[in-house]
Amino acid sequence: MLSDDVRFHLTYSIGKEPADASPADLCRALSLAVRQRLTDVRLATERRYSERDAKRVYYLSMEFLIGRSLDNNLLNLGLRDEAEKLLSARGSSLDSVLPQERDAALGNGGLGRLAACFLDSLATLGMPGYGYGIHYEFGLFKQEIVNGEQRERPDHWFAHDSPWIVEHLDEACLVPVYGHVEHQLDRAGNYNPMWLGWKVLIGVPHDLPVVGWEGKTVNVLRLYSARASDEFDMQIFNDGDYFKAVEQKAASETISKVLYPSDSLAAGRELRLVQEYFLVACAVRDIVRRYTKAHASFDDFPSKVAIQLNDTHPALTVAELMRLLVDEESLDWDRAWEITRAALGYTNHTLLPEALEKWSVPLFEKVLPRHLQIIYEINRRFLEEVSIRFPGDVARLRDMSIVEEGETKQIRMAYLSIVGSHSVNGVAALHSELVKSTLVPRFHEMWPERFHNKTNGVTPRRWLLGANPGLAALVTEAIGPGWVSDLDRLRGLDALAGDAAFQEKFAAVKRENKVRLAALIRSLTRAKVDPDSLFDVQIKRIHEYKRQLLLVLHVIHDYFRLVQDGDVSGPPRTYVFAGKAAPGYAVARRIIRLINSVGEVIRKDPRVKGRIEVVFLPDYRVSLAEAIVPAADLSEQISTAGKEASGTGNMKLSMNGALTIGTLDGANVEIREEVGPENFFLFGLTAPEVERMRRERSWDPWGVYQTDAGVRRVMDSLAGDVFCPWHPGHFLPIFRRILGEGDEYFHLADFGSYEEAHRRVGETFLDRPAWRAMAIRNVARTGKFSSDRTIREYAEEVWGVAPVL
Amino acid sequence: MQVEERSVGSYTVVTVVDARIDAQGADDFRAEITRVAQGGNRRILLDLSEVTFIDSTGLGAIIASLKQLGPDGDLVICGARNSVGSLFRLTRMDKVFRIFATSDEALAALAAG
Repeated sequence: MLSDDVRFHLTYSIGKEPADASPADLCRALSLAVRQRLTDVRLATERRYSERDAKRVYYLSMEFLIGRSLDNNLLNLGLRDEAEKLLSARGSSLDSVLPQERDAALGNGGLGRLAACFLDSLATLGMPGYGYGIHYEFGLFKQEIVNGEQRERPDHWFAHDSPWIVEHLDEACLVPVYGHVEHQLDRAGNYNPMWLGWKVLIGVPHDLPVVGWEGKTVNVLRLYSARASDEFDMQIFNDGDYFKAVEQKAASETISKVLYPSDSLAAGRELRLVQEYFLVACAVRDIVRRYTKAHASFDDFPSKVAIQLNDTHPALTVAELMRLLVDEESLDWDRAWEITRAALGYTNHTLLPEALEKWSVPLFEKVLPRHLQIIYEINRRFLEEVSIRFPGDVARLRDMSIVEEGETKQIRMAYLSIVGSHSVNGVAALHSELVKSTLVPRFHEMWPERFHNKTNGVTPRRWLLGANPGLAALVTEAIGPGWVSDLDRLRGLDALAGDAAFQEKFAAVKRENKVRLAALIRSLTRAKVDPDSLFDVQIKRIHEYKRQLLLVLHVIHDYFRLVQDGDVSGPPRTYVFAGKAAPGYAVARRIIRLINSVGEVIRKDPRVKGRIEVVFLPDYRVSLAEAIVPAADLSEQISTAGKEASGTGNMKLSMNGALTIGTLDGANVEIREEVGPENFFLFGLTAPEVERMRRERSWDPWGVYQTDAGVRRVMDSLAGDVFCPWHPGHFLPIFRRILGEGDEYFHLADFGSYEEAHRRVGETFLDRPAWRAMAIRNVARTGKFSSDRTIREYAEEVWGVAPVL
Repeated sequence: MQVEERSVGSYTVVTVVDARIDAQGADDFRAEITRVAQGGNRRILLDLSEVTFIDSTGLGAIIASLKQLGPDGDLVICGARNSVGSLFRLTRMDKVFRIFATSDEALAALAAG
């Protein structure tokens, strides 16, 4: 019985009288009781995989944005009702206990959350899938808003005290780094480069169980922390140099200390490179260790092992696996290369040139001298292949080389990933096309068969069943429970979209979610918002390409129309923003300041009379998203076309019955196709139009400013002191960014059609039956965006793994 | 650095008694090999069965010792535990040295020529 185990853990793991247990104690005891069950299934699952000698897939990612685990684990194990009952018997409830768990924020945004959703789906489908990542001591920073500005605080989550994570010191591995290559001859007189002079780190694995729906399979997310080698430290301690020993230990353990925020890698590039290598080295050793337990040679490696690289962060896997096979296992180069390529797949996540990783050769040589040598050899052989295929085309060789020439040579990690993998995919149909046509067209020309699309997905267990229990219950009541593991069944709701009684129930669930969010908003920001207003939501990392600024421009426009033009058409609106800006990204930080300032001015203006409210919810994270998503009416997916790879927030919101206002970017294109163009508010330039304007330099924001009085009014307010009476001119950099610096993100180019789309949104929202029918159709038609579908596609087309049930 | 030595056939078997060859002990180790070599025998079978840890400085000292023995000399390794053997493979030193599982196995192979 769960209640017996909870009592046991309250007494013996926490050391309290059960009657004295606080909600935090109950959360921990319940988690430990659940972990017992997960452990039983995990051991049975591993036995099953071993007995069948199943092919395993290893998902390598620098980020896993896990969030909270307890509710998800209770749901997937079917223990939620039992847990609620036992808590109720103790005078408590899940509502008070679940928030005690801190989010495991080991990721920045979409890429890390995708990895977490994929692990859920792998376990749900009964596939042998393991995540490999870093056990950061500090996750993504905690965001506070002070005087409207972002302040960062370290997020020392429960790294060493998580009830879910179990350390396995006995499986620690040794990771050499730095050093030099000595050029020697082997016994037969052949060249034998030797990697010497390295320092050594110890990689200690920590396992977090990942349970699938209905609890039949428990896979593992293995996170490594860096430890100093005790051997070294002990010797220095023995020599009496205590401080040196502590310094060395601290330096080694820095490797897994902190997750780097996106867009701010420059500050700590060397440490980041060591981090990436640390992950790869630990993972590859562990993968090979598991493989060699059951196999005497490497002949079967590609038929037993699939390794997926989540973006280029683990791209060093190509060089590390080659090094291990050639140097340590003495395979000849061609055989090792065949094995490496057959085992690896690479997922590209970005088209932004600044986000494509490159490492300078001098830094690379310092940190990983032997790997640099291997990459040079991979490149030499690759360019030979290119020159045979395209004789005399020197420009092509330069363009495709893994080593970028220039004042300081750079290693192009995306190219290394493409050359070293048998599969290259983008994460939405449009994105995958742009990878082929604009990002790496020459690679596509060389190996067209290697490129394909795998549109992202999200797990419906967390994002619908868990986050939105009211809607989940309504859906189950209407079409049965099968949708939880077969999301296409949501189609059954389509027939109910126009049904007045169903609409009423659907609207009641939405309103209840909005009331709950309104209370949260009140507690987080002191703002009072009207649950009957249109909840217009933009929640994601703050970045110019995602265009939070475009929504702010709309809000200002909306505000001026109301207070200056007396236009009261359209419903009252609550604009909900949330998202973190990279600490070093000054423009993004200023955008946060602007959102808060606009909100403050509007809130204090008596003419607004509650028709517009703007709130910025601090510390956006998985658990906050779980509160916002079910309450959203409108989902803002308004990136400049051609910039967003996929997005997954767009899927979560649509799946929860929010209508999308969006550009034809990332997965918006497919969401619109699925839900139907009539249930989606489209606006803006297309990716080819943006590209053409960029190429022809025909984009002239000043022209729009001069000819459109509405735009001028909005922009002038940024140049003046309307929103910054405390510091006139504070938002002038944003004014200049949009008008004076060419605006790479085409804000004003899309402003007119965005306004028009918002007008349609307002009109439709006032037509309640029409809006509700559209929202229901959104839910009904998002089956495609289950990560179960994505994982099935990867499994069949890339990894060659099958369920082992 | 504590070592024990014994002559077997044309080789001197040098057994490292310390558990580690690292930055602290690397110079001592080299000095011991120099002393053995100066004793007249430049063909050494290095028994690492007691060694549990070698760092990269220790590995460097073994390489330097091989060079020091010169073209007429020989340095053969035996008894390396898994943790030590994996470092020989990591650095590709296994391709430079002849490596045997035990001293008996090594001596038999060396005697057979």
